[in-house]
Amino acid sequence: MRSSLQAVVLWGKKAPSHSITAIMITDDQQTIVTGSQEGQLCLWNLSPELKISAKELLFGHSASVRCLARARDFSKQPYIISAAENGEMCVWNVTNGQCVEKATLPYRHTAICYYHCSFRMTGEGWLLCCGEYQDIVIIDAKTLTLVHTFTSSQSPDWINCMCIVHSMRIQEDSLLVVSVAGELKVWDLSSCISSIQEKQDVYEKESKFLDSLNCRTIRFCTYTERLLLVVFSKCWKVYDYCDFSLLCTEVGRSREFFAGGEVLAAHRVIIWTEDGHSYIYQLLNSGLSKSIYPADGRVLKETIYPHLLCSTSVQENKIFPYMKANIFVLDQSLPFVMGYINEKKEPFYKVLFSGEVSGRITLWHIPDVLVSKFDGSPGEIPITTTWTLQDNFDKHHIMSQNIVDYFNGFKDGARTAVVTSSEYVPSLDKLVCGCEDGTIFITQALNAAKAGLLEGGSLSKDSLPHKVLKGHHQSVISLLYPHGHSSKLDQSWLVSGDRDSCVILWNIFTEEILHKFFLETGPVTSLLMSPENFRLKSNQIVCCVCSDHSVALLHLEEKRYLFCARKHLFPVRMIKWHPAENFLIVGCADDSVYIWEIETGTLERHETGERARIILNCDDSQFLKPESVLSVASETPKHKSVEPRSSSSYQFGPIPCPGLQVEPSCKAADAKSFSGPFNVLPVKTKWSNTGFHILLFDLENLVELLLPTPVCDPSNSFYGSEILRRAKSTVEKKTLTLKRNKTACGPLSADAHTKPVSESPAQGDNSITVLEENDAIKRQKKMKSSKKTHPKPSRKFDANLIIDAAKLLLSCLLPWGVDKELDNLCIKHLNILKLQGPVSLGLASNEDYFSLMLPGWDLCNAEMKKDSSKVNLFSRKVLDLSSKYTSTLPNQAGMPKREENDCDSLQESNTIVYLLRRLFLVNKLVNMPVELECGIDSSFKMESVHNKVKSPGNDILHISSFYSYLRNDKNESHIPEADVSLLKLISCWRDQSVQVTEAIQAVLLAEVQQHMKTLKNRPINSQPESMTENSKYEKMQIQPKMEWAEELELQCVTGSLPLQTSTSLVKHDSNSNSANFQDTEDMPDRCVVEDSESPGKPRPHSWIAKMCFCKLC
Amino acid sequence: MATAMAATAVERAVLEEEFRWLLHDEVHAVLRQLQDILKEASLRFTLPGSGTEGLAKQENFILGSCSTDQVKGVLTLQGDALSQADVNLKMPRNNQLLHFAFREDKQWKLQQIQDARNHVSQAIYLLNNRDESYQFRTGAEVLKLMDAVMLQLTRARNRLTTPATLTLPEIAASGLTRMFAPALPSDLLVNVYINLNKLCLTVYQLHALQPNSTKNFRPAGGSVLHSPGAMFEWGSQRLEVSHVHKVESVIPWLNDALVFFTVSLQLCQQLKDKISVFSSYWSYRPF
Repeated sequence: MRSSLQAVVLWGKKAPSHSITAIMITDDQQTIVTGSQEGQLCLWNLSPELKISAKELLFGHSASVRCLARARDFSKQPYIISAAENGEMCVWNVTNGQCVEKATLPYRHTAICYYHCSFRMTGEGWLLCCGEYQDIVIIDAKTLTLVHTFTSSQSPDWINCMCIVHSMRIQEDSLLVVSVAGELKVWDLSSCISSIQEKQDVYEKESKFLDSLNCRTIRFCTYTERLLLVVFSKCWKVYDYCDFSLLCTEVGRSREFFAGGEVLAAHRVIIWTEDGHSYIYQLLNSGLSKSIYPADGRVLKETIYPHLLCSTSVQENKIFPYMKANIFVLDQSLPFVMGYINEKKEPFYKVLFSGEVSGRITLWHIPDVLVSKFDGSPGEIPITTTWTLQDNFDKHHIMSQNIVDYFNGFKDGARTAVVTSSEYVPSLDKLVCGCEDGTIFITQALNAAKAGLLEGGSLSKDSLPHKVLKGHHQSVISLLYPHGHSSKLDQSWLVSGDRDSCVILWNIFTEEILHKFFLETGPVTSLLMSPENFRLKSNQIVCCVCSDHSVALLHLEEKRYLFCARKHLFPVRMIKWHPAENFLIVGCADDSVYIWEIETGTLERHETGERARIILNCDDSQFLKPESVLSVASETPKHKSVEPRSSSSYQFGPIPCPGLQVEPSCKAADAKSFSGPFNVLPVKTKWSNTGFHILLFDLENLVELLLPTPVCDPSNSFYGSEILRRAKSTVEKKTLTLKRNKTACGPLSADAHTKPVSESPAQGDNSITVLEENDAIKRQKKMKSSKKTHPKPSRKFDANLIIDAAKLLLSCLLPWGVDKELDNLCIKHLNILKLQGPVSLGLASNEDYFSLMLPGWDLCNAEMKKDSSKVNLFSRKVLDLSSKYTSTLPNQAGMPKREENDCDSLQESNTIVYLLRRLFLVNKLVNMPVELECGIDSSFKMESVHNKVKSPGNDILHISSFYSYLRNDKNESHIPEADVSLLKLISCWRDQSVQVTEAIQAVLLAEVQQHMKTLKNRPINSQPESMTENSKYEKMQIQPKMEWAEELELQCVTGSLPLQTSTSLVKHDSNSNSANFQDTEDMPDRCVVEDSESPGKPRPHSWIAKMCFCKLC
Repeated sequence: MATAMAATAVERAVLEEEFRWLLHDEVHAVLRQLQDILKEASLRFTLPGSGTEGLAKQENFILGSCSTDQVKGVLTLQGDALSQADVNLKMPRNNQLLHFAFREDKQWKLQQIQDARNHVSQAIYLLNNRDESYQFRTGAEVLKLMDAVMLQLTRARNRLTTPATLTLPEIAASGLTRMFAPALPSDLLVNVYINLNKLCLTVYQLHALQPNSTKNFRPAGGSVLHSPGAMFEWGSQRLEVSHVHKVESVIPWLNDALVFFTVSLQLCQQLKDKISVFSSYWSYRPF
């Protein structure tokens, strides 16, 4: 997902499934983090009153999350690490949900411990990891690269669990681990740091065989510095840390499996089981054996079990049953994951927490003083809080709109249509939804989204144009729009497959059934198109993957059912096409391969093992993976058709293959190939048959497409106006040239050709390119991605669609309810509608990693609860930021103003464009460091600081010049200083780690306020005066600077770079210069002055500017 | 599958009943069967900690190959570790016979066997938690369990079927070369791995490339079996593989284990398929 993409999520009524496999509470006790089998992470807000509310869902992993851990000193950086089943590791910032670092190493971790020794280590510390490999792997916490390993000299084996022991007494940190075979090993940590860094072999200091299998947890008692708690699945034991002698053993009841434990206090431990019970034990007599007294009580949800006090007390001695248990039985195919957080500091609680496969989180507040019941039987600690994702959805149902919810209105009454599959057709802006009852809806996606999100959209609900296709008897679970894959195919075709193995070919324009195929297989889980270079009788064919592992091939043109390949024993993982030999190659989940001859439908070969791998890996043939994995993205053929987004829709296709181990369809949200200004992305998660939709708005693209708004013709309404179209096509030309330059990075002199506009904008363009080139070195990565998207042919987007998309985006971003009057003005003058409720926005951290806010995110900030009038305000901070921004915003600058006779709609679109550009700018600025920082080596601290400062600076300049070039507003006196200070302010926010969404919202609010103010009290008479004053002032300021600049240029040409001397003034100059480009159009008198200055010089200008900027910032 | 179509109320009731039977009875029957098979498989690996650790049976394997008699080896396997090795190498040039053996005090863990064994015991552990008395409530629950078990089993199998692809420097740096007494001559490299059901020993004979050699030096990448002519840099020297000898021996119990893996994977998949047939009903009522 590119950073200029703004995402709005339409969740629907049902929460996505989130089967918790890992859980942790951050050190500040404000956030609970859970990892799921589906691969997502969820951030939950934990209030001081221990109330839970889900905040964000983090996408990035393509496999089940195995473990979570702290990745930094939490008070300094709120980072955590997650490791997935397939070796992916990812560092997340839990305050804003951004992915900070990611890596995939050939290790599957089951536990991670963060270790940092400030006085002996540079850098951010280590992650000590264990898992499905021998011994311990040490990974750098910042770069996620392998530092070294700890190796065992005796019987190396997998490590089950570990803990770090900081012993005050011996002033040495040690790592204690227990292997799969039950061997306890100890490595010195603090004294080995240097040998690790020098990559010497470090062997264990001690080892001892513990004589029990399946160790779950090992914990050191920091209170006594003496006891060691080791929990095995069938028993738990206490050892003496000094000599590892066994002090006591406690065996669990039959069918009870311990899952973990923690030391509560000096002689008190808590042990929990896989089915979610926990027991607190007091260890008597300093943990010496025979004195342990366990007790327990259990309560089922309704029933209360008798306390089995006697049966558990294996020991003869006296008992102090201090105990607590808690119960809870629910759907749990996986063990509960539990944890305990023990903060000694005051405002924090002792909390026991558990996460279930159903997605439920439960918290118990463990009191410091445990009281047993009067009769001495164990007391019981009540559940403090429990919460699920679905609770969030139920509580905030206004926010959990589905894009197709309004369809329910058409249905006769109570029954709601559950959407089981959907596909977005970008070329028609149609959203096709297959429903559970076998109907297929086709509707305008944008309108549907508006109806779902906006107030007053309800009026249009009844009149929303939509089509209903009826033909299936079972739920429609797969859809394919063939034209999206190949422009040669008929635009009216739609293929749908249902649970009853029936596939229907539709004409979506006439709503008629062209053909019905009865496959007589299992449910058709996905429909795939053969690649362009594969043809049967000069036509591409459709391949249906069914859940009974069969694959059926259909020939659409001939309406012929070719054959069905049925021999597969395991679910189909991969489909490849071999055009030369006319083979269909099917890869199955058990790594076997079946090769089918397409003409005859016979099984040509069946291979397993090494051969199968070779066949699947050979690259000479085209292939499609039903999983729609990202790696395919780069390899899909680019369709040079009129419809540029054709390939994207293929990758987005959510393919619910029930057998797929890893269903990364969420990852498919990667929008590398996404190029339209608006798109709908259907997302399906692993275990549910319903999904949700993400609306994607490409800010950059929107701005580009909207830019040259009609300047002259006021009689023309912009809706579908011919002018807009024409203007659009010119800007396309422009942007295309611009891009060519970007990619070429070559000589720039020949640039001023074919520019449909006057010369000075061309100059502006030129300077951009230079800067672009300078930046390119540092931002190669980014360039690459932008390159990928750019070489698309000119597109034909409906102008209405673009404006509507822009308005919807503004509606979604604006904080409504801050000022009633403002709301009304917005509705009136911008012609945008108010939101029904807060929307869930998405935030991209880089290509495949992004976070989506969940319904109810707005209540996570405690202070927000008080006033419900504000809708969609991201955080209280936004208001402060916004007012700061307004104060920097000079009175008259910024908003485009128009002459009185300008028609309203024109003004409106101008304003929208202006706002979008602002947002784009802010977005870019705030996002900047994320991209830049990744490439910077930490060792070059000075350099990196320098770089960091320099390059954003560059970009500011680049953007501002780009941006001012883009302006073509009339009658505007533009004050460059103001812009610079705004830019500075925003970059300042970035440094204060203001979140992008906050910044965007703040700027939008401020700009809208500003704009509406001018609308409210148009001081028509007074304005011109102040304007002229302003411009005079500006002129005076500019002129001396220009002289300066000229001098500098001279110096520059002669080769001596005046970097040190030319600081602030030059910067101003470069800015004013770029500003002038836009001014020239409107102010002929000044044009003379500036024109004489600008021709031919943008190059040295920008060069100087670049050098200087670094010093300034 | 067509049964699901237009199910009447009666039909639906029957299907629901059938599904309940599947969850309550059939699933447990399959799980028990799975457990039995996997226990059988894990016995082959002689799991440690079962009290027989010190007594793990020693097995001798005579490694040979039909194509060459230049290398003969006798390897002794004790569980997942090579406890003894005797390798005889007839040098092709002078027919001189080289003999080397493991040091008495050392054992070499065969990582592949260890990993496979650990994966199996994890699968068993997953199944143990769900014995007869546990009641499955949803089909999804069974699917998730099956997925987890299948993941472990697939990994166990893949561990045996896919030996690590190592580069020559990695082989040279491996601890295996330091296991021998007398020490291996510097122009020999040895690698031991499992491929499917076979224990394989490869011996690489090396010769140094002259620094001024006109030969184009291109270091070889990772591979299970390097061919003669592969080059690499070790220390400051550039070396080339001159001869490769590969000998192998079938380990019968690995064969059994692989068969068990395949059978249990198919069992798991069949159970998943059975559950999936009813999937259309989940949305109506989650059992």
